[in-house]
Amino acid sequence: MKVEDVLAEAMAAHVADVQATPSLGREVRRRHRSHVIRFRMAGAALATALVAVAAPAMLNSAEPAKTQHAATGTDRAVVDSVIVPRVVGKHVAEAVETLKQAGLVVNDPETTTDTGLVRMQSPAAGQEVTKGTNVQLTVGPESSVPQDLGDLGDGRKFGGIHVGYLPEGLEWGKWSGKNGFGKTSYTTTFVEPGQEEGFYAVQVVVFTGEASKQIAQRLTTFSSKGAETTDIGGKRAYLTKVTEGGEVAAEDDNVSTSTIGWTLRRGLAVEVYISPDYAKKIDAGDELKKIAEGIEPVK
Amino acid sequence: MTDEDETAFDEFLAARSTSLLRTAILVCGATHHDAEDLVQHALEKVYRHWSRIRHDNPEAYARKVVVNAAISRARRRRVVQEITFARPPDTAANSPDLDLRDTLIEELRRLPPKMRAVIVLRYWEDQSEAATASLLGCSLGTVKSQAARGLAKIRERMTVAEGAIR
Repeated sequence: MKVEDVLAEAMAAHVADVQATPSLGREVRRRHRSHVIRFRMAGAALATALVAVAAPAMLNSAEPAKTQHAATGTDRAVVDSVIVPRVVGKHVAEAVETLKQAGLVVNDPETTTDTGLVRMQSPAAGQEVTKGTNVQLTVGPESSVPQDLGDLGDGRKFGGIHVGYLPEGLEWGKWSGKNGFGKTSYTTTFVEPGQEEGFYAVQVVVFTGEASKQIAQRLTTFSSKGAETTDIGGKRAYLTKVTEGGEVAAEDDNVSTSTIGWTLRRGLAVEVYISPDYAKKIDAGDELKKIAEGIEPVK
Repeated sequence: MTDEDETAFDEFLAARSTSLLRTAILVCGATHHDAEDLVQHALEKVYRHWSRIRHDNPEAYARKVVVNAAISRARRRRVVQEITFARPPDTAANSPDLDLRDTLIEELRRLPPKMRAVIVLRYWEDQSEAATASLLGCSLGTVKSQAARGLAKIRERMTVAEGAIR
């Protein structure tokens, strides 16, 4: 049997149960309206600020939480009921926050401090319950992220180097991998606080031993393909955008990854990437140089 | 946008949205939830230009938006493993009774996003090489080479997995 047939079967089986929800048309139109509203309001500073505050509940949330005051009368107890928002598929922290804002609680501390995605919720989305009701969440891991190097603290010291400089506001991405980039290599990422799981702002890869030869080769091939080179502590480094296929990308290609790579000493080389998303917020070339200059070998 | 446009858009969704969602899941290697978000976002673009594009192959337009959004999303993810480097065979198959299909999907997820998109469009959607090239905005040669390299990777993995089952 040909591999493409087996693969086609596997792909078909993988998505066989997937069905678009009937509410898709409504969701698309709702998104369209919020897009138009945001666009119209963008002119006035005050209006923009209002959108920023009101948007999470009014425009963006798939199931806006509605608070209804049920009872009235001055000398009667007021019973507030709320509609449970949908949190399945969200990250635990985001789900807990969404529920909190809707006036609900998640009592189990083990759940609230867990990491991963909400797989199930009870009571279900759309139900009307008393304010303060406990919502039970079932949490599952999002993906198997390697933790090859254990707890790295601030993440700046790993694989025989220390990262002395990082753009302001970044924190360790709380994962690390070994040998994903050849033997022996180490990698970890730095993220913006609250950044979506699986994404990164800055990724650092350390190549030692056999793996370090790749960087010397890349310096030759990249510079022959027109990549910019620069000086990092007396060593030549390539500073360029790289496509997913590992080739030099055009300067204005804003989906490729801004990359700097150089050899610190024999058998030790480093590559640093800035994600296409983060590159929109900073001067990627400038920051890569600063990060590179701040990287030193340590014991 | 006329009422007729609105109705036509609903019909378009009814006929095509499940297929678009499935493509998005396969191309971006993401969860159902993430893919749904991506498809909604893409379809909002389609809706925005609906009255202009509805008579001019809206499906191709929608598919293009979905596939490219899926590639772009996958590209922004951190790199856990560089795919150009061969994995040692002892880590390729985890257990002998590993389902071959799961193994293949796992391997598909490991491919670089664009290569994965080529594989999905060519072998799952059964698009021609030319249609795939046009959807991805690349050359025919790129489609051919990416498909060949992607299949080779998966074949390599399949051989290891089958060896383990035996």
